[in-house]
Amino acid sequence: MYSHNDDIRIHKLSKKRTKMDDYMMIKRIGEGAHGYVLHAKCNQTGKEVALKKVLVKRKEKGLPNEIIREIKTLQAVDCRYVMKLLDFFSKGSGFILVFDYMPSGLWEMLNDEKIKLSDGQLKAYMQMLLQGVCYLHENRIMHRDLKPANLLIGQDGILRIGDFGQARPFLKDAIKCYTPQVSTRWYRAPELLYGSRKYTEALDLWAVGCIVAEAFNKMPLFPGETDIDQLALVIRSLGSPTEENWPGHTKLPDFNKISFKQSPPLSWEKLLPFVNKDTREFIKAFVKYDASKRLTAKQALKHPFFNSEPLPASENEMPIPPYDHRTLVNGNMYENHDEELFEELSRLIDEKF
Amino acid sequence: MFPKSSQRRNWMFKDEAELQSLRVAANKKFVDEFKSRLDPNAQQAMLSAEEEKTLLRFYEFQMRDLCKRFVPPMPKAVIGCAFNYFKRFYLNNSVMNYHPKEILVTCVYLACKVEEFNVSIGQFVANIKGDREKAADIIINNELQLMQQLNYHLTIHNPFRPVEGFLIDIKVRSNLKNPEKLRAGIDELLDKLYLTDACLLYSPSQIALASILHSASKNQENLDLYVTQTLLGGDPSRLTDLIEAVRKIRSSCKINEPPSREVIKNLEKRLEVCRNEENNPDSQVYKERMAELVEDDEERAARRYAKVSRKQAQTEAQLLGVAPLDT
Repeated sequence: MYSHNDDIRIHKLSKKRTKMDDYMMIKRIGEGAHGYVLHAKCNQTGKEVALKKVLVKRKEKGLPNEIIREIKTLQAVDCRYVMKLLDFFSKGSGFILVFDYMPSGLWEMLNDEKIKLSDGQLKAYMQMLLQGVCYLHENRIMHRDLKPANLLIGQDGILRIGDFGQARPFLKDAIKCYTPQVSTRWYRAPELLYGSRKYTEALDLWAVGCIVAEAFNKMPLFPGETDIDQLALVIRSLGSPTEENWPGHTKLPDFNKISFKQSPPLSWEKLLPFVNKDTREFIKAFVKYDASKRLTAKQALKHPFFNSEPLPASENEMPIPPYDHRTLVNGNMYENHDEELFEELSRLIDEKF
Repeated sequence: MFPKSSQRRNWMFKDEAELQSLRVAANKKFVDEFKSRLDPNAQQAMLSAEEEKTLLRFYEFQMRDLCKRFVPPMPKAVIGCAFNYFKRFYLNNSVMNYHPKEILVTCVYLACKVEEFNVSIGQFVANIKGDREKAADIIINNELQLMQQLNYHLTIHNPFRPVEGFLIDIKVRSNLKNPEKLRAGIDELLDKLYLTDACLLYSPSQIALASILHSASKNQENLDLYVTQTLLGGDPSRLTDLIEAVRKIRSSCKINEPPSREVIKNLEKRLEVCRNEENNPDSQVYKERMAELVEDDEERAARRYAKVSRKQAQTEAQLLGVAPLDT
């Protein structure tokens, strides 16, 4: 599992000047529990990058696990459809990860009314997604937070999987416990909703199914408003789980904490009204209670879905997102932070560390 | 996976001599840089590379105890990972620059995170004697420094998985009756190897095989045929290398006593005098540096607040059409 990332130059803590001086800030483009993301330009090469700044919560547990996972995972991967970690360094009491700047994401591409994606292009996105997932799973990494917002689209139109803050390695066939508190709700597999701690990488494929459905049906498949609502929604759609379609589900930790009215499944035509039959079959193959019955990424890439008309668009037929697409679609969510951005700059200037 | 790992590429060394020269260089570097800044008394107290090694050996025993006593029980992979970090750190750093008792706990804490053994800092320091709040501060302050010194090579390959692999293979391809009985002997050797440089010199699978052969001979079992024929396919050139490695690994843990209390007491006393005050949590310089970091954050917040209220005052002034009073 070697990659170029192992060769990344490591920057020693310098008292005088920081690695941060190599970059010129453009604007803040994102925010998360870990800190925030800045759009910046490398002074030397002119290359545009995204700087993910992680704040170390000194009073809590030090460096967040998410960052350790992200560094560990990204050091080990090298795939066209996975974000590359260009560099990383510590800054003051925080930490910075440097990535290629990606102007857009699948979420933005799906939600921009000005962009009309053809089925072939959507298929191509799904193919890139699955190639990325296939690579990760072959290298025994589960992502655990796949969703349209984490699938980034570059200036070359290529989709790359990003945000490895919840990724972790897994062992084939090993019984190991993981936390069920992962994934964004709408894309969370049912085993997680019932508190399973022994899930497998198939949780990523449930998310893939939800993403494919969202891309083609033009609306989220299971937009639950709370965790319980999420489970209710899944059960209302797929019907009450049975020992047949989901062996062992009654033994999951949270199964007895909540019970839902017995209900029959809804028809897939109702669930996915805007989707043709081939695509519906493809989605159905992922959205299954029994994780072991879900299509693996490798199988999915060989699925007739990708060999039937319309064929997936080739990479040079992919739409190039407009520069700064994220801001165009979302509005400038961060404009009120200009103040802080300048603060950041002035801090950079007089950084003592 | 291991052949392409950062461990193989960056943290495996030719022999003891190479390790020794790195350690001597780390010691020399510190002495060269700091000797002139110390008063004559402290200069006298400075430790030699050999003395540093003795101290580190003592702290490795401490580290093993901490890991073994740890509540909740610590998985083996975390322990292995922590030992690797500790050894790597002191290949390039002097004990006089960073006190081993502080780096030790930081190594274990970071290993917990990297190996996904999730304990909170509170839970973690509950396992440490003495001032726990202070310990938590030290750990968190040292974490980034440790990661940098490890060149961010966080993934550690331990011998535990190769051991499992070999045992499965032995069950299938050898005529050994009950391979499971080897376990106790295997664990015993692996346990001792934590306290040696084996992880910097041999690959995890070599260490695993050595521990299996060690246990087999202790159990009066013979795996020679399995090794020579099944594993190596009868290639005698590879056999000599393997036997040599296994012999060296086994003999490396012969001396297994911690250094004597008096020796350590004396070295620690000297270390207190000659250690780098900048990295001593009890020193004024250190406290000031840390306060600065925290203050920085607070100052920023204050500056931002001042700016916002200034702006607000301006807007209000415009709305009212009056100039604000200069206060």
